[in-house]
Amino acid sequence: MARPFQEEEKQSGLAAAQTIVRALRYVRPFRRDFGIKLALLLFSFVPMMLLPWPTKILVDHVIRGIPFGDQPRPYPFFLEPLIQLASELSPTAVLVWTIGAQFVLLVAIGAFGIASRERDSANSNGIPQGWDTATRTENEANSGFSLVGGLFGLLDYRFTMKLTQKFNHHYRTQLFGRIQSLPMTSLDDERIGDAVYRVMYDTTAITQACYALILTPLASPLYIFLSVWILGLVYGWVSPIIFAGLAFMLVALVPTLPFAGLQRLYASRSRRAGATTTSAIEESMSNVLAVQSLGGEERERTRFDADSADSFKQYRLKILIDLITYSVAAVFGAGLVIYVFLYVGDGIVDGLYSPGDFAVLLPFFIGIASASIELGALWIRLQGDSTGLNRVFFLMDAPSERDVDPDSALRPLQDKLEIQEVSFAYEAGRLTLDQVDLTAQRGQVIALAGPAGAGKTTIAHLIPRFITPDLGRVLIDGQNVAEYSLDSLRSQISFVFQETILFDATIADNIKLGRPEATETEIREAARLAGASDFIQALPDGYQTRLGRGGGKLSVGQRQRIAIARALVRDTPILILDEPTSALDPETEQKLVTALREASQTRLVLVIAHRLSTIREADQILFVEDGRIIERGDHDTLMNLPEGRYRHYINMQTLGIDPPPPSMTL
Amino acid sequence: MSDSTAPDKTARYQEFAQLGRGGHADSLSFGLILRLLWRCLPLLRTVRGSLAGLVACGALLIALFAIPVINVVNIFWNGVLEGAPLSDLQATMIGLNPERFSSESRLTDPARKEVLRHLVWSVSGLLLALTPIFIGLTYWRIWILQRVNQNLRMLMIEKLQTLSLRFHDEQRVGDSIYRLFQDSAMVTQLINVLFLSPLESISRFIFTLGLIFLWDPRLALLLLLAWPPLLYLGHRFARPMRVGFRQAREANSRLTSIIQETLAGLKTIKAYGAEGAEQDRFAQASQEAFRAAYVARNRFVGFKVLTFWCVGLALVSGIGIATGLSSADAPLYGEQFMISMGFAAANSGVWNLGFYNNFKDRFGDGAHSQHHLLDLWGTVQDVATGLDRTFELLDLETEVEDAQDAVSMPPIRQGIRYRDVSFGYEAEKLILDQIDFDVPTGSIVAIVGPTGSGKSTLMNLLLRLYDPNEGGIEVDGCDIRQFTLESLRKNVSIALQENVLFGTTVGENIRYAVPGSSDESVRRAARIACAEEFIEALPEAYNTQLGERGAKLSTGQRQRISIARAILKDTPILILDEPTASLDAATEHRVLENLARWGEGRVIFLITHRLSTVRRADRVAVIRDARLAEWGEPQHLLKKEGGIYRRLFEIEAGKNRPQRPANPSAREP
Repeated sequence: MARPFQEEEKQSGLAAAQTIVRALRYVRPFRRDFGIKLALLLFSFVPMMLLPWPTKILVDHVIRGIPFGDQPRPYPFFLEPLIQLASELSPTAVLVWTIGAQFVLLVAIGAFGIASRERDSANSNGIPQGWDTATRTENEANSGFSLVGGLFGLLDYRFTMKLTQKFNHHYRTQLFGRIQSLPMTSLDDERIGDAVYRVMYDTTAITQACYALILTPLASPLYIFLSVWILGLVYGWVSPIIFAGLAFMLVALVPTLPFAGLQRLYASRSRRAGATTTSAIEESMSNVLAVQSLGGEERERTRFDADSADSFKQYRLKILIDLITYSVAAVFGAGLVIYVFLYVGDGIVDGLYSPGDFAVLLPFFIGIASASIELGALWIRLQGDSTGLNRVFFLMDAPSERDVDPDSALRPLQDKLEIQEVSFAYEAGRLTLDQVDLTAQRGQVIALAGPAGAGKTTIAHLIPRFITPDLGRVLIDGQNVAEYSLDSLRSQISFVFQETILFDATIADNIKLGRPEATETEIREAARLAGASDFIQALPDGYQTRLGRGGGKLSVGQRQRIAIARALVRDTPILILDEPTSALDPETEQKLVTALREASQTRLVLVIAHRLSTIREADQILFVEDGRIIERGDHDTLMNLPEGRYRHYINMQTLGIDPPPPSMTL
Repeated sequence: MSDSTAPDKTARYQEFAQLGRGGHADSLSFGLILRLLWRCLPLLRTVRGSLAGLVACGALLIALFAIPVINVVNIFWNGVLEGAPLSDLQATMIGLNPERFSSESRLTDPARKEVLRHLVWSVSGLLLALTPIFIGLTYWRIWILQRVNQNLRMLMIEKLQTLSLRFHDEQRVGDSIYRLFQDSAMVTQLINVLFLSPLESISRFIFTLGLIFLWDPRLALLLLLAWPPLLYLGHRFARPMRVGFRQAREANSRLTSIIQETLAGLKTIKAYGAEGAEQDRFAQASQEAFRAAYVARNRFVGFKVLTFWCVGLALVSGIGIATGLSSADAPLYGEQFMISMGFAAANSGVWNLGFYNNFKDRFGDGAHSQHHLLDLWGTVQDVATGLDRTFELLDLETEVEDAQDAVSMPPIRQGIRYRDVSFGYEAEKLILDQIDFDVPTGSIVAIVGPTGSGKSTLMNLLLRLYDPNEGGIEVDGCDIRQFTLESLRKNVSIALQENVLFGTTVGENIRYAVPGSSDESVRRAARIACAEEFIEALPEAYNTQLGERGAKLSTGQRQRISIARAILKDTPILILDEPTASLDAATEHRVLENLARWGEGRVIFLITHRLSTVRRADRVAVIRDARLAEWGEPQHLLKKEGGIYRRLFEIEAGKNRPQRPANPSAREP
């Protein structure tokens, strides 16, 4: 059987690269937006090229009093007109104009200088987060960022956040849909927490990867190019600084390479541990009745304690790996910085540059270096995302049950339903169904009876294709159900499960789940047939009563009747009930059986039951044992088989109904 | 025990559940925020030693390196770039001979280069040496913060577990998950927003203000001028940000609930083709969550941009003035004091490039710490909102809790008595009305009645999953509310109607209530529950994993595991809620036979519809319309003309068999 939630913990570098590149495909629907974001980003480079110059003017021409034109290096051509104007002004006027320009820059882009304190960038990174992957990714899901602040930054930020959200919304909705279409057998209760985690926290990895993959390789080279060009214009081709800056690409890439595998491993462990913790809490909250009544609190607490502590630990280790990785790279980078300091310092001492030039050279160097780091570190930064992507893609790729052409509609049942020689095994080697054959006519009530675990429910699951037979086929009026779209098949079938599932909505909403357009009259009629209308009407809000979590305030029998009403309101040609009456008292059960008989006049009703009172009303009884149908016929026929298994089975049940045996103790 | 009545609590819990549905108005004022943060302090108790150590280490590092760091900039600009001599302290700091570098009036070019090299090497040497320390401290800090968060999570889960079903029936699972993970994570910010950050920013600000005063008092005043608009913005934005953050949290919590609920009911959704509707519901909730986050974050970022403008305005003006002062060689205000801090007295106490750049740094620092404080104020709004949601949960009154003088429940000797027990979620709508009966030990009581008549609730009261509104349950004449909850539940075991199995092995599921019980006793319990046979046929028998990776069990099989689980607990009181509904007659027969042998000397309650089961009981309680309609021995009740029990019996025996409709030849055309 497929193991849907079990992707590999370790991922090779090549596989990670493939995963990451695959993420790029997901940009397609958002091409235009990404284009705009890129344009905004590139546009924000313009003011950044301007930022260092006011400081140089202040230092060289105002404080040190060097006349314009006497400084060792010329200004870039785009500033020349301004410099021309400034050279005719007094130093005080230059000061005032320069400061004025800085004010304008402050309002427009929230920056007036190159030091970090003289610059603002619009992002919500300051929004607090916790110390595990889940709380961190909630910020990623809404991340907006702009390199600059001020009015432009705000605009850029808002656009980016909208894009991030649109993008995330698109893919988490898609993943959610994908999970909904997984085969019924793959999502068990224990995995709900895990699925919640994937939808909420793993999908953000797609956005993160796409931003990195699209913006960095396009924007960083341009930034480097602009900086190098301006440096070249002003200082000649100051090759040592440029080379040192570019060398950061290698510094960010080479020393971090050996850590990529570790980063993936711990990022993946952290996500996995977070998902396990979510499952732990989900399970113990969903089953709180069982936990409290069985005294399992301590146990659940211990389990949660261990899971939660582990998820914190894995995240902590992930951070430690990050710290070590980046520190190693930083040591190499420090060498380059030392080199540049010495070079520029010596240059100033030797009179090649003025002290004011230092205020220009250093930021340009830092700019080139950071852009190079962005490029070089691209790979290592994507490692964490690749594990998230891996978890998302894993589900996206899991076999879906709706792989048939959705337009191939099955014609509604007119005549008969056939199951032909079907065998099925949940796991290899243990046949759950063995050559099951049955034919059922519209207008009949068919009962499946037999000991617990015989395979009755599995037979019923074949019809709406909750499971697909390993051998044999299921036909509706001769049409093989496997060849038609699931929607057209399931819209013909109403299935009432053994365990009733109600949703936290009103009773009316619960009843019309499968037929949202049902009128109030239809809902009431269905409830009446299911024997539910009395107790519903006795509730203070009647059909508008909100059920609360899982319908916990209703008794199991009441829930069962709502589920039956839900099936009846759909008015489908096939009605399947899996032990619909197990929690009903005999009186209610009788009413229901009568209702089912009525319903069967225009339908095919298949019912699984243990109770004689339910079974004997059937037109055809199929007695199931060990995955095979061993006897078939109506009640009287089967009771007349002298050594019949059905007869024996019924006799066991009715034994107690006949005169009570002498001992009243058990 | 609390003084509010049980139905009041239902109302309170409903209100709580409503909180997550977005009906909550902002109720946090500044005072409340502070009180909220203050309340969290006890959460730090377990880590206070580590915390103190961490803060001490940080402070030590700052103390050791603050003055050298300030001097680095000065040495570079004055010494290297301008060629001015260093102070003795500066020269010593970077390992140069003070006599050579501080006495000359101007440094030679080779000397400047030497200073540069020494400066660069000492700084990088220092940074290299500090790197492992920095890594260690960061790791330590994360560990501490995570510990605090873990403690809070555990408090919350304990609370969730002690809250009765009255709460859980209303509460959405997704909301609990969200509170436990996302809201509780805010506690890790506590140390930061309450102590470290304000402490650092405020002391930085004051320190800087003092320093700038030394340069020029007028500039210090300029820095202070930024405060009035900053305070106004802080006041103006606090509420909108808080409301925004609250709504974002609620929207995300709803989204979590929707995912959880849809997936939990996936089977039904598939069967009813409701995937499309669920998809739409999800998409809508996801949109709402993003929309709410967008609004909140927009306010936050807008606030940051505005405050930066205020701070930047002061900064730009200050730098402008300083530039003017430097170009005019204006005198420094606190010259002597500055020299004593190690600055070289170049150009005898007037503004020069070194002082100018030093000033720019300090002034920037001062302005930045102001901005940071305001940033922090924005952050606090979210932290407080998260913690508020945490405390909403922790502050809920529990309904069922140990009395102050609760004692351990002694072994049961005489029996159990329900004394006029009434129960209802709401006071006016009773689910059980004055139920009164007496059960001696050694008897089996069958509880029958129409579905929804309150049979399961009657049993849940015995376990104190709820407390009755009126009346009480007595064991050997002693009200069960006088026993500790733990000891009471140790004396009662229950096999639930819905057979909840956990995602672990078959064996672990059976020993769920008694962890660590021996394999032999697990097998014995399975044998009594007639589960042994099919378990042993499973691929790995008792070690078979259930759920996703493991076996699929039928309902009847799950039911027997759940019975085995109750039997293993080996308690004097056993409740079987529809124990055999999904069992075939033969198996049911065997299970009941086995239970009869096992059950001697205990009290066994059987809730059932099957009259073949009922007739094995010593007493039958017929519950109808919330009341105890009939009570007595089964054969006795059977004789009662017009009795409810008798009628139920007749139906099951087939005497009222309804007429079969005419043979269904009616096929739709």
